[in-house]
Formats: sequence, C-alpha cells, structure tokens
Amino acid sequence: MMRTSGVCSAIVLMLLSALAQAEQVGWQLFDKVQYAVKHYNFDTSFVVLKGSKVDTYRWLHGQTAGQEIEHLIPLDTSGVDILRRDALVYYLLTDRPAFVTRASHIPELPALLFEDKDTIRQLYNAVAGSSSVMSGRSAQLLRLTAKQGGRYHYWLWLDAQTGFPLRIDTLSDNQNALERWLVTHMQISPELPENLRALMAADLPQPADNSVAAAFNSSHQLTWLPEGYQPVAEPASIPQLEGSLLSYWLLSDGLHQVSVFVQNSQRLPTQAYRDGATTIYVQTNAQLEVTVIGPVSIDTARQLAAAVR
Amino acid sequence: MSLENQDWLSAASDNQPLSKAQLDSLLSSAQLQQTLERYQMLGAVLRHETQSPLPASFADDVAAALQNEPTYQLTNSQSWFSRIKNGVAQAANGRWLQPVAQGAVAAGVALIAVLGVQQYQQPGEEMLTPQPMLQTQPIAGFATPVSLSQTTVSDRFAEQEQQAMLEQQKRLQALLNAHRQQVRVMEQAQQAKQQNNDGPKPNEP
Repeated sequence: MMRTSGVCSAIVLMLLSALAQAEQVGWQLFDKVQYAVKHYNFDTSFVVLKGSKVDTYRWLHGQTAGQEIEHLIPLDTSGVDILRRDALVYYLLTDRPAFVTRASHIPELPALLFEDKDTIRQLYNAVAGSSSVMSGRSAQLLRLTAKQGGRYHYWLWLDAQTGFPLRIDTLSDNQNALERWLVTHMQISPELPENLRALMAADLPQPADNSVAAAFNSSHQLTWLPEGYQPVAEPASIPQLEGSLLSYWLLSDGLHQVSVFVQNSQRLPTQAYRDGATTIYVQTNAQLEVTVIGPVSIDTARQLAAAVR
Repeated sequence: MSLENQDWLSAASDNQPLSKAQLDSLLSSAQLQQTLERYQMLGAVLRHETQSPLPASFADDVAAALQNEPTYQLTNSQSWFSRIKNGVAQAANGRWLQPVAQGAVAAGVALIAVLGVQQYQQPGEEMLTPQPMLQTQPIAGFATPVSLSQTTVSDRFAEQEQQAMLEQQKRLQALLNAHRQQVRVMEQAQQAKQQNNDGPKPNEP
C-alpha cells in the first residue's frame, strides 16, 4: 500500500515537474520574443487580418547607444504614421500638428509583445508548442492560454533563430480565431535602418503637458468587474463626447483595456458588433444606453453593461 | 566424244567463258567432268604445279560426307514464352542487359515511391485546408452585428430604421475612436497622476 502510494506520488511529481518545465520553456520563449522586438534593428511588414478586412503596415525599429526608435507606417491610404522615440509616441498627422503622448510602446502594435512579463504571467499560462515552417523560416509555436474564462487566448509563432514574432493569432474562449497578425517580410540587420537615422535626429514637438486627467463626476456606478480587471483612476477626458457622455470607465487588466460608456438612450435595439478581437456591445433600456468596447467576449461585455446602476 | 566438245573443254580449262548449254552438258555428264579434270591436271603439269593443294578425290569425299550427314528438321514447336525466356536467359548474360536491368529496377522503386507518397498524402489533404478553428470570422465593413435585433422591423419603417442604424454606426465609430484614444493616452495619464502624487519630476529628454 505504502509502495503503491509512493509510486503514484512519484508519477504525479514527475508529471508536475514536466508541466512546470514546459511552462518554464514557454516563458523562456516569451522572453525571447520580447527581447527581439526591443533590441534588434529590423525592417518588417505585417498584415492584420480581421475577417475580410486586411490592414497592412511597415514596422521599423532601431537602437543605438541609449536611444530607441520605432516607426509604424500604415500602407493603406487611411492611416497615421506613428513614431516612437524612447518614451514619446508621435502621431504624425498630415493636416494638424503631431499628436504627442508618453508611452513605452506604440499601442497600435500588439501589447503582448511589450507589456511586463509578470503582469502577463498573472493572466496567462505559456506552453511551447510544435514547430513548423512559416514563410520559409522555422517557426516555434507558443500558446498563451488565459487562466480565467472570458479572456482571449494568444497563439504566437516565433522565428526559431531570432525569436522574432512571425504570427500572432487572437482566439476566443472557444478557440475561434478572431484576429491574425502576420509578418509578411522581415529583415534584421546589425545596423540602424538608414531612414530611421534621419528620424532619430528630426526635430519633433514636445508632449502637451496640459492633458491632465479630467475627473468624471459619475452619477452611475459599476457594480461588477471581470476577473483581473481594475478601473483606471481618472481616465483622460474625451472632449468630443463631453456633451453626450454621462459616465465613463476605463478598465484594465494590465494587458487589455475595456471602455464603458453611458449615454442617454437613443431607443435602439441591444446589439453586439465585432471588429477583429474588439467587441462592441450596446445595451439599451428606457433611459440609458451602455456601450462596452474592448477585447472581451460578448458574455463579459453583457455582464459589464448589466452592472451599470 | 566429239572433238568439238574437247575444244571448248580445253578452252574452259584455260579460263575461257562457257555458254549456258555447255555448262549444262558439263554438269550432266560425268565423262566431261573427268575430261576437264584431266585437262586441268595437264595444265597444272605444264605450269609446273607439281603439288595439288587438294587430293584428287576431294569432291567425292565431300559428296560422301554429305550423304552420311543426318537430316535436321527445323520446326516452330517452341512456344513464344519459352522463346522469350531463352532470349532473356541469353541476354541476361550479355553485357548490354545488366545496366538496362539496373535502370529498370531503379525506375520501379521510384514509381513505387511516388505512388506511395501520393497515397500517403491523400489523408493529409484535409490538414492543408484551413481548419475552422483558425478561420477568422467573416466580417464586412466596420463591424458586423453578431446578435440580431430582437424587434421586428415592419416594411413601412424599414428605411427609417436603416437611417437610424447608420446613425448608430456613426456613433459607435466615435465611441470606438474614443476608446482607442483612451488606450493611447492611458500611460501618459497614469504617469501624470503619479507625478501629481509624487510631486513634480524633471521632464524626460
């Protein structure tokens, strides 16, 4: 009896250690991908597939001694050039002066590649998958599986040699692919790309310091939050909606952000839309219209909208 | 035996041409043949050819040997299969067949390999077609409704309804833009808040 239990516990221990090791390998791969996008000089193109909609971008990144520069160029006609120099992000508009904000990464790029690993570790399990061939390169699969339901899963394919991300799929709870981020061309060079060298020295405006958060003196309350989410205290003001907006919350789990808007009812039916991985859920009653926008499942959005009192 | 006969025989022994009739008579008459032989011998003696290369009875020996030879009956009794077998058996030892046979073996192996691979790939074909798990949902335009309106739309109000829907899409687009803007400035807003809490900090370069 003692012996069998000993054998059983040994087997369980071995399984557990194997699992722990797989997890460790997964996070090592994750470190590799985060290192690659932060430290290499590269010139890549990628597409974002949202159903039948395709957006194409060129993404350049370079690093010199102590300075980092990143340039995201939409290759479609409608789009804004985005430039990041260290902790300042510039939206280079054609008809207006550049919009400048402070951020450690360009929010239009997958946040997964830049957010703190410990934050992501609280939300996800990382498991290394099989390797395959992608665009002629050997790619290693890394699956990030959400620990809680309602949060999307991510499947990453990394270049086995450099760790550079080749493809990121965003999958819903029941493993439906909602959005695909796919590198179509990649060039990693030891030197800073030539056109970034010029931008490194370019004279760019300073960020506006007056964008101090405007407090919403909310007359409503949010009585429920999805697991892992916290409301962001004092979100920035939204001048273009000031006339119609009754209440606003910005929620974050460290990786994803969800907005909850409360407006006067337009007496339209309750509806849900989806833009890639972003859910747009509108719930209407006699007085209020609650809109939830963010990368959450429709169920979560519905619960969130119902939690507005 | 006429003198005339002996004249043309003598001429023949001196390598003069013979007419057809003379040749026929020579072939039919053993006496004439012996006479010719004698003439030839005379000529040979006159030409001092003392030794004849062949014995005098050479022709008779050959004729006698032919008489004793058994008759061979050649028939087509062998079947085509055994003939091919024999042919192949003979050819297999020939020098030319060996490389050809090696080539044939190699071609056979290649054919089996190709057919085998094709058969092996047949079940894999469904793996190549995109699986529903990785298919992105078809979405047209900005965003598609995933739940249908619960209110029934009567035809009279259809146009009005459509107008309202368009209006709503516009408002939703504005909200989506606002959400994106919030995500953009979130870090800065939090930094500003932290600065307010911690007291002013020197600006970054």
